[in-house]
Amino acid sequence: MTKAMLAEAPTAFALQCRDISVQYGEVAALVGVSLAFAPKLIHAVVGQNGAGKTTFARVAAGIVKPVSGTLAIGGREIPTGNVGQARAAGVELVHQSFALPPSFTVAESMEFGAERGRPVFSRRGLEKRWQKHLENLGVRAGLRDRIRDLPVEAQQGVEIARALVADAKVLILDEPTAVLSPSGIEKLFERLKGLKASGVTVILILHKIREVLGVADTVSVLRGGRLVEGPIAVGATNARRLSASIIGVQAEKEIAADEAALVGATAGDALAGAAPAAAINAAPVLAMQRVVTRADSEGPGLEEVSLRIGRGEIVGVAGVEGNGQRTLVRVLANLVEARSGQILLEGKDVTKTPLSERRARGLRIIPFERNSEGLSLSSALWENWSARQLLLGPALRLINPSWYRNACDASLKEWDVRYHTTMQAAGSLSGGNAQKLILAREIDADASLIIAAQPTRGLDVGATAFVWRALRDARARGCAVLIISSDLDELFDICDRIVVMLSGRIVAEFRPPYRLGEVGAAMTGAH
Amino acid sequence: MKDSLLAVARALAFVVLALALCGVIFEFAGYSAPEMFQSIADGAFLNPGAWEGSLRWAMPLFITATGVIISFRSGYFNVGAQGQFYIGAIATTFVVDFLNGYPAALVVPLCFIAGVAGGAVWALWPGLLRVRSGADEVITTLMGNFIAGLILIYVTGGVLKDPSGTGQVMASRPVAAAYRISSEVGLSPTIVGAAVVVGVLMWVLVNRTAFGVLAGLAGRNSTMVVWQGARMSRLGIAGFVLGGALAGLAGTIEVLGPNGRLVSGFLPAHGFTAILIALVAGLSISGAAIVSVFFGGLASASLYLPVLAGLPAAAIDIINAAIALFITARAAPGLGWLTARRRMIRGA
Amino acid sequence: MEEFVIATLRYGTPLVYVTMAGVLAQRAGVWNLGLEGLMIIGCCAAVLGLVQTGSLLFGLVLAVALCVLASALLWFVVERLRANPIIAGLGLTGLGLGGTDLAVQAIYGSQATVNAPYGLPRLGPYFGDFGVLSVLVAAMPFVVFGLWALLRRTRFGLQLSASGEHPFAARSVGVSPARMRLIALCLGGVLCALGGAELALGSLTIFAYGMTAGRGFMAFSAVIFGAGHPIGSAAAALFFAIVGAIGIRAQLAFGDRVPNDLLLALPYLATVLGIWISARFRGGAKAASSFGELRDY
Repeated sequence: MTKAMLAEAPTAFALQCRDISVQYGEVAALVGVSLAFAPKLIHAVVGQNGAGKTTFARVAAGIVKPVSGTLAIGGREIPTGNVGQARAAGVELVHQSFALPPSFTVAESMEFGAERGRPVFSRRGLEKRWQKHLENLGVRAGLRDRIRDLPVEAQQGVEIARALVADAKVLILDEPTAVLSPSGIEKLFERLKGLKASGVTVILILHKIREVLGVADTVSVLRGGRLVEGPIAVGATNARRLSASIIGVQAEKEIAADEAALVGATAGDALAGAAPAAAINAAPVLAMQRVVTRADSEGPGLEEVSLRIGRGEIVGVAGVEGNGQRTLVRVLANLVEARSGQILLEGKDVTKTPLSERRARGLRIIPFERNSEGLSLSSALWENWSARQLLLGPALRLINPSWYRNACDASLKEWDVRYHTTMQAAGSLSGGNAQKLILAREIDADASLIIAAQPTRGLDVGATAFVWRALRDARARGCAVLIISSDLDELFDICDRIVVMLSGRIVAEFRPPYRLGEVGAAMTGAH
Repeated sequence: MKDSLLAVARALAFVVLALALCGVIFEFAGYSAPEMFQSIADGAFLNPGAWEGSLRWAMPLFITATGVIISFRSGYFNVGAQGQFYIGAIATTFVVDFLNGYPAALVVPLCFIAGVAGGAVWALWPGLLRVRSGADEVITTLMGNFIAGLILIYVTGGVLKDPSGTGQVMASRPVAAAYRISSEVGLSPTIVGAAVVVGVLMWVLVNRTAFGVLAGLAGRNSTMVVWQGARMSRLGIAGFVLGGALAGLAGTIEVLGPNGRLVSGFLPAHGFTAILIALVAGLSISGAAIVSVFFGGLASASLYLPVLAGLPAAAIDIINAAIALFITARAAPGLGWLTARRRMIRGA
Repeated sequence: MEEFVIATLRYGTPLVYVTMAGVLAQRAGVWNLGLEGLMIIGCCAAVLGLVQTGSLLFGLVLAVALCVLASALLWFVVERLRANPIIAGLGLTGLGLGGTDLAVQAIYGSQATVNAPYGLPRLGPYFGDFGVLSVLVAAMPFVVFGLWALLRRTRFGLQLSASGEHPFAARSVGVSPARMRLIALCLGGVLCALGGAELALGSLTIFAYGMTAGRGFMAFSAVIFGAGHPIGSAAAALFFAIVGAIGIRAQLAFGDRVPNDLLLALPYLATVLGIWISARFRGGAKAASSFGELRDY
């Protein structure tokens, strides 16, 4: 059927780009990419993180100007790097991290991107104008609700509705599934199929093959900024072939592991390697007992969260983003106060203990936001690396910077970080190397509990494998590890145990072999 | 090393750009720009004895600037050096006025303590408001400057007023000769010694202590050091208080040294100039030592201009302001790669 | 009572105009600490233009032109050269104070004040006691409401707000935040010119060096106090004006028995208090100080 549709496709492509190249400084993000998408289908563009997918989407939407190449919408060429022209031609982009001002109401969010209609309005007129539009799309959000108060799935709905205020002909969605629960993903796909039926060409930027095969008509693969193949009809390919072309030629063994991550088909038992049972039974490294916190701007509060992690155990926290995972990490870091309950670290009550002391007792944190919470990008590598140790003693003690620089040099070499000098700014490192710098600081001989929040987000396959290996090595040394990730496949692969967070509670616990359906149901409260 | 040379070249380039803008303004106002710059250079450095004047102004400016550097490095935009300087000067004058007659060995140290404490207190409240409540320190310290200025007018017109004073200038009684730490020349061993001691101590603090490195990290990204377990409130308060204390010390030096008394509204640009020194020096203590001499020269020239060259002293204010306008610029037009690079790091 | 209202309006009107300029800048994402400098440029240009040509219109046009020019310079420095808006704004303030001083000295020698032959048109006897106020006082509520309507009830206003709050969102619907900031700052320049003209020619007819006396900074804090909302910020500015008017009244009533200079500090104290209260209510700035840098994303 898909083949037939492809054959019937008219000569005017909905979106066609020729020979697009994008350069960020010295880094080539896209190299000579030529892609053409037939109208009224769902097209997937896949690739690993850093393959250039987001850049491609932004070029198509006119946000990024390529150094060379042309862009044609519906057979008509438009200037590149011009959002206004791209939108006028009917191209709309839904960003991965949504692009709506948090203080705007839903109605205002529709209006500020609108092209036509009266530029001056009354509040009621504004709401009347957009009511129907939202209803048609099945977006459930009050017109007066503020964006910042909406749950993430509603935000995405609003964002899609925003993209469709003008009659969009091409709708591009950048990693729309990253923030959604399995059931939310299904709803999204239903919505996209509806759009397709109404004549919109949908381009999905994805990195999960399973999702691609489930929804798309064609698939195109990017790797290292180049087009590997595509668009090919999904019927003409399969998961194995796709993952091979996404990953490229590598050692057989690595492909197996990476494929697992991409396809998301295997359960963790084969790869994770269960922890020694004796270690789990020993006194827990971390014990949280009925911890309660207040909700704040960064997420819901915790409600009676109890969690135990034993020596040599990797525990994963699954859940749709925004269900209290960040609060969990912050309460462990004492950056949010526990209103009641207890936190025990190695059997000692640390509920009221400041982070510096918890760190002195062996707590290590790889925070969610690598570039803000993990590193000071404009500071030197050695300063970033030494921060933890500098905080251990009195602040006014004399130090010898060259000692720290040498120690940093040795440590970074050990962790295989690529850099020129320890004096260079941390911002000059690539994402993978920056994460390794954090690992080099946080995973040391004295660590007893390592909290890794989204440790592989934005990393390529090689760096991801490196991080996983480092965490497994830490487990082997007897560290307790807590991983928070929105990527279930990652959790399935590495965790000895998975707990699911929903609305600030731990609602379920799973042991291998994991089943996607069960975990997914727990994440949405549907179990 | 290459980086720091680049930074110096960049700072110089923007100072030159600022001077060019000043030239345009001077010409626009009907003055000859070359003549203006020549007179300024004469007044600052070229005339016989000009160096002495420049150094006299450089010393207190350097001390205040080191305080600004500490505060800025630790991530707080304390722009209240002027107010802290005033309160330090006022506190000093109170001590010297009320302990008049006691031995200098007692009074002078107490004056220093009072000045340092006064400046520190005037920095402490914005600091507390900042770290406790998150009240923006830019505004609170700016307001602090205005309030301190009014307190200065109030005390020089009231409690501390010199009864024999005549005319419109309100001032305190002159400091007794026994308590003076320098003549009007302002380059006594005490003052030079104080500047050197402050410079060395602050250099060590910034470059050779855990506090210095951590404050540097905190200044660039406080979130990161918080996740490392640092308490920003402590780092921040330390930065505020130290900055205020040093500005207050400069106040003491001005009162006991070259000024010899507290004058209403004296040196209104001291704090702003110190901030400029800190920024032009790229928040480096050793850099500030050199840059202070340049701005000391400008300050000295502003006295010279109206008296000897018949030119308005406002010219110096304009030069300072123009430098402020440009000194923090991070990109030059046409250097799109700078922004592209940032985009890559953040947007990836 | 009427006297008190008049005093408040006299004190408050220039402040409100300049506050509205600050609101525009804040909405577009620029911390404008150059307001003080823009305001004094407005005062000086209006008076000098009037005195030199005898035409009030010329004075006002000159004030508007120079304020817009200075605003555009600030925009260039912070947007194109990526300078820190706070320091650059303070620099612009210094340029304004120094430049007006220089201009007055260049024309009139070392004279402290310049007297204008007449001021802005008054409301006239039809308004009774309030007739002594200038037309800009009467226009003020319309300006405030108009700005509110512009920001909250037009697509342009939404796009301008988006440029400050979430520049990337603005860019992804094809709006250039840089252009929006230029527009906001230049419109603000016009408002600063009017505010300056009102201060110099509204109830007085004089230009004196440094006559703005920190009003630009007060306007800036009114913007912060009012959370960038036009009406909230205008209310904050009027509150500062009331405090200022109380200060003046107390001075008249009690003479030397109250410390005048300390009463003059009341608006500044109120600002500190206001900042503190609004920080407490809204949780305040995060530990990370952004130093007021422009946001790209």
